[in-house]
Amino acid sequence: MGLDQLYQQVILDHNRSPRHYRRLEGATHSARGRDALCGDDILVELRLVEGLIEEAAFSGEACAITTASASMLMDWLPGRCPEAVLTAYEKFRDLLDDPASADCPELGPMNGLRAVSGFPARVRNALLPWRTAIEGLQRARGPAESRCD
Amino acid sequence: METVESKVKDQLDVFALREQFPVLAREVHGKPLVYFDNAATAQRPLKVIEAMDDFYRRYNANVHRGVHQLSVEASEQFELARDSVRRLLNANSVREVVFTRGTTEAVNLVAQAYLRPRLKSGDEILITHMEHHSNIVPWQLLCEQTGAVLKVAPINKQGELLVDELASMINERTKLIGMVHVSNALGTINPVEEVCRIAGKHDVPVLVDGAQATPHMAVDVQALGCDFYCVSAHKMYGPTGIGALWAKESVLEEMPPWQGGGEMITRVSFDGTTYNDLPHKFEAGTPNISGAIGFGKAVEFLEETGYEGIVWQEERLLDYATEKMQAIEGLTIIGTAQHKGPVVSFTLEGAHPNDIGTIVDHYGVAIRTGHHCAMPVMQFFDVPATARVSFAPYNLRNEIDIFLEALDKARNMLA
Repeated sequence: MGLDQLYQQVILDHNRSPRHYRRLEGATHSARGRDALCGDDILVELRLVEGLIEEAAFSGEACAITTASASMLMDWLPGRCPEAVLTAYEKFRDLLDDPASADCPELGPMNGLRAVSGFPARVRNALLPWRTAIEGLQRARGPAESRCD
Repeated sequence: METVESKVKDQLDVFALREQFPVLAREVHGKPLVYFDNAATAQRPLKVIEAMDDFYRRYNANVHRGVHQLSVEASEQFELARDSVRRLLNANSVREVVFTRGTTEAVNLVAQAYLRPRLKSGDEILITHMEHHSNIVPWQLLCEQTGAVLKVAPINKQGELLVDELASMINERTKLIGMVHVSNALGTINPVEEVCRIAGKHDVPVLVDGAQATPHMAVDVQALGCDFYCVSAHKMYGPTGIGALWAKESVLEEMPPWQGGGEMITRVSFDGTTYNDLPHKFEAGTPNISGAIGFGKAVEFLEETGYEGIVWQEERLLDYATEKMQAIEGLTIIGTAQHKGPVVSFTLEGAHPNDIGTIVDHYGVAIRTGHHCAMPVMQFFDVPATARVSFAPYNLRNEIDIFLEALDKARNMLA
């Protein structure tokens, strides 16, 4: 995987103008994700209504890979339930593990991030937004019953 | 034609020097390696590599234990290495040189074996705002254990220590000053001698983290007037996992042992144990023998190369890089001290250090990105991270050009 695939247009575009990059009013779940080593520091905020993610946003400062991954993830989250996020996270990790694996249609444009697999030092950047979102979901899970069926 | 490098030859034969470092001949992603991460760890010359190889091939044995020939040879080389480190620091005696795993362990040794028994609740340990985590966390642990308080002397926007402020923070509760000689994140060379003079008036001992100093400048612990000096071999062309603590014999004599085990004893019974002489009292267990031998050879390498030529070449590299980088729009150099080692930490508008690191690596250029184990420095300059190039005398000015081209590509790519 070359540098051009890592920094392909779609990723650069998400980095330049990240979607859902703001503070979320009325968030029910949130977590801060930090990578002390490289300086990434993001806040993921989610609003769950009746077990489904209605809205997702992130803010903070991070490298292009983390920013693009967060931007795409925030785009993808609305309408999903927490279990679906966990299942998709497994698939996303597989994608970064094995560049030869088939595209995962469910993950949409996030398939583009698979180029990160060729840059082992950067895999954790692509994963940070996912880990943060999941931490947020798990932390204040409590009564927020899931509506997965 | 007179080239940049032929001028360099007058002072230091940089190409001959490069021949001594086999790794510099390799390629990375199909491009010649440009190694600008010397402050994280320098590369190793053949002299070091071959001496360690020779130990394992010809005379691998434990030290100070056997009567057999291999053990005699290993002990001899191990102690010769200690004498090399003594020369490096201009210490009075080999009894003052304790081998450790590195600077970090040396600081921890002083914290626990020297300071802890002397510390009571409310006492103060004074450090500077530009310390590496290795000269912060051991003191924080000690404060937690004893109720002592960690005080931090401020720096200015250039990344220079405010010596007057530091002086005004010394009081009767101050029990030790810990300071870095050369900052790894900023490059700042601190006025250690001046601080030691001030501290001396108050009878406060000074510990110096010299990890980034010995690769670049002659260090004389007696002239500096410090009480403890800590070094790591791998920053100065030696192996990882070995370093040294220097302290005056009288101070080391008074200190209790730090870790217990073999090597540090003369007699053990279940009624009690007699500790070994200096410096072995502080070297429990089988030491890093090959590491120490490599460390000794790294000192010899520095002696043969000569600090004069090293400084000359490094200053040229630093000046050249600083001048070129200052001219780049949106680039901010973090750390602009008047007295500076060959380190340029920077941020570039619109490009996160991490992405810069990945992209320049693609062009064969190895740089460091992140917090450089100095998070308080990052907080002071209000940046999450920086990118850093750090030079060694085997680097070339045209390598800086290669780096700048790669940096330009990174900027264009991310813009």
